[in-house]
Amino acid sequence: MLRLADGDKTALEEIYHATRVKLFGICLRILGDRKEAEDALQDVYINLWQRADRYDPARASPIAWLAAFARNRAIDRLRTGKVRGGAVPVEEAAPLADEAPLAEALLIDLERNAQIHTCLGALDERTQIHIRAAFFEGKTYAQLADQAGVPLGTMKSWIRRGLLRLRACLEASERA
Amino acid sequence: MSSEQDDNLPDTDEARDDSLLAAEWSLGLLEGEDLIAARGKQASDPDFAWRKEWWDNWFAPLADEIPPAEPSAQVWERIASAIAQPEPRSAEVVALKARLKTWQMVSAVTSAAAAIAVMISVFSPTTTSVAPSEPMVAAAPAPLVAVLPIEGTALRLDVTFIPESDQLLVAAIGLSADNVHDHELWLLPADGGDVQSLGIITPGKVQRSSLSEQITRNLAAGAQVLLTREPLGGKPADASPGPVVAKGAFSSV
Repeated sequence: MLRLADGDKTALEEIYHATRVKLFGICLRILGDRKEAEDALQDVYINLWQRADRYDPARASPIAWLAAFARNRAIDRLRTGKVRGGAVPVEEAAPLADEAPLAEALLIDLERNAQIHTCLGALDERTQIHIRAAFFEGKTYAQLADQAGVPLGTMKSWIRRGLLRLRACLEASERA
Repeated sequence: MSSEQDDNLPDTDEARDDSLLAAEWSLGLLEGEDLIAARGKQASDPDFAWRKEWWDNWFAPLADEIPPAEPSAQVWERIASAIAQPEPRSAEVVALKARLKTWQMVSAVTSAAAAIAVMISVFSPTTTSVAPSEPMVAAAPAPLVAVLPIEGTALRLDVTFIPESDQLLVAAIGLSADNVHDHELWLLPADGGDVQSLGIITPGKVQRSSLSEQITRNLAAGAQVLLTREPLGGKPADASPGPVVAKGAFSSV
């Protein structure tokens, strides 16, 4: 990433080859459309090229940062309205035949991975489902409320309560 | 681990603290005004920016559950050609380059401060403006440049005004069209006069247009520019402007 900031194009290519399947999986999951997901992916790396200096190695692992960045970009696209929202059919995601070693190499952070699952798992099931739908499907409050058939305020209240508990649990783990 | 003290959490947005707003943004729950508010806060409030990143980092490992997928080979080709592309070459742009370079170096250092200053200035119209009758063009022969960062992304819009030819160059490189909205650029005259449209931007292109005297007389360092999201074709005559997605101010280079 540091080389990128110096304008090293081969660095971008290396990063692309190491991370594309993970980031494309994320974009595809959120956007549910290969073409849109490819456009989003393209945006991600061009942005990275232009603004590699935004990445601060002290604050996050490169892959965590890239994963969050790609997901944010995909959600931005989703919110601009063209793309149909909603769950992505799993078959459309066309997972690679056997990319296990690659996928493992790109695990974001085992320890944090376990912790976020523990803390999410401590929430009531209903809240977990909605928070996961927001994360994995890019749903808005309004869409989640609609889907669950509850008023918008109720959905906000459920999720915010869940987020407060999640924060308390994650902060406790940071202190431990 | 969880207490019951939050069980009466109100559902009103006013009751939401910044940490929650950051979490909502990180999850992607926000839209419309809430989203714009969060992006604005990101630029102006380091604690909020830190908290957003805190949530991003915690949520990121969840993405490991998403199956990887292979994009088509054309994606890398498009990226490679985009980053290899030379800057758009017009005589003016080439001539401006040296000056821009210095300016960009300065602006990179001060961008955080500038973002705050822009936010403040957008909401509190300056009272130190020049008398409206005074023509600005003669006083400002140097090119004017405004950079509009698209909050929440690494993208930006570069707007350059060349007084000699009354031409406006709008570089929307890296932005992409969604085919549902257009984005319209607006000038806020420093004298508090009516907002003037600078036209609809063309994503992914450098666009050149000639400006009328009604507009050029309001173009001066300090004049603000806003980018709003509109229906296709731009703001309908009888509608209010759409949400502001980016803003900046002209400065002399």
